[in-house]
Amino acid sequence: MSKDSASTPILPSKGRSFSLDAWALIVAMLLALAVKFDVFKTVPW
Amino acid sequence: MASSISLPRAESGNSLLNALRIVPGVLLLAGIGYAGKILEHSVNAYAKSRHWTFPNIEYVLWAILIGLVISNTLAMPKLFQPGIATYEFWLKLGIVLLGARFVVADVLKLGGISLGLVVIEITLSLALMTLLGRLFKLKPKLTSLLAIGSAVCGVSAIIAAKGAIDADDEDSSFAIAAILALGALSLFTFPAIAHGLHMNDVSYGMWAGLGVDNTAEAVAAGALYSDAAGKVAVLAKTTRNAMIGFVVLAYALYWAGKGQAEIVTNKAAFLWKKFPKFVLGFLLMSLLVGFHVFSKGQVTSLGNLSKWAFLLTFAGVGLRTNLRDMSKQGLRPFIVGALGEVLIACLTLGLVIGANRIWGL
Repeated sequence: MSKDSASTPILPSKGRSFSLDAWALIVAMLLALAVKFDVFKTVPW
Repeated sequence: MASSISLPRAESGNSLLNALRIVPGVLLLAGIGYAGKILEHSVNAYAKSRHWTFPNIEYVLWAILIGLVISNTLAMPKLFQPGIATYEFWLKLGIVLLGARFVVADVLKLGGISLGLVVIEITLSLALMTLLGRLFKLKPKLTSLLAIGSAVCGVSAIIAAKGAIDADDEDSSFAIAAILALGALSLFTFPAIAHGLHMNDVSYGMWAGLGVDNTAEAVAAGALYSDAAGKVAVLAKTTRNAMIGFVVLAYALYWAGKGQAEIVTNKAAFLWKKFPKFVLGFLLMSLLVGFHVFSKGQVTSLGNLSKWAFLLTFAGVGLRTNLRDMSKQGLRPFIVGALGEVLIACLTLGLVIGANRIWGL
């Protein structure tokens, strides 16, 4: 993760391979796939 | 201050151990958020059963209040810190998933209006904060950080600008403290003012997205008003966040011109590096829904997943707001920030009311 990226968390830490943005995108897409293929039938609120 | 706003350092080596370290804090966020949800239902049900006239206090406010009480009355064990710091991840995850609840046409219409208003807001905010910084004789780089933080997107913008303009850690902490303190205040003032003005959901959401600096607080301030207002606040704030690269680049060039920051050689690479990539995820999710990749029920599920992610974010907003630490940061930057924020809130309110009259938000 770049040291001064917009997605850098409050006080950046060196040595991370993914930015928060990338993690958010990856997890969101995995969740979307899980919803699409009915891994979650319905997500209640 | 640093203890309340800093993220734990990820140490190289045992990544599994690092992953496990976040578990207690994440469970705390989930517990507080869920307690907020239960309180919303039980307090409303109790008031209804007693035939009391009681304002509907949303889970958002309960989660923030519980977090605030805990962080300001108890010494938070270090065990929870890594997990609490993940609130920003939940925020971004929630925003990406929220894209599913936007029809592409709405994104284009509201996003277009937002973009126009954001450009005006950024220009006015930068000019105003620079003027106030000079009037109150703040250090020039601190003024720059406050201007960027209040014009674009709060803490992320300050962090992004810190490296680009080679600002001191102390200045960054001052600016972050001011932005966070004012963000916490806006959670309570924005909805109250909007109720007083009888603003509709779209207008208020637009105002919260334009007027509240930090993304988490902007989303919370929107959701405190209504679900629909929360959605629009996210869209307006995301549009504002997308401008971060241009503003930081302008400041980087300015300070490099004065010989007080590194020269930017590749401007396109600089812009891409600063661009908040989760915005692309938000747009992608909206496009996928537009192409009917998901059924109606699946879209509802994605929207609910977004709400669960925000639930953890709101708990984190309360937990990381340490009023004692903020009060130690000195008065002048706070006064400049507060004056600027009040004026920016008035300006953006005027902009939104004007846009509502022209485009009928």
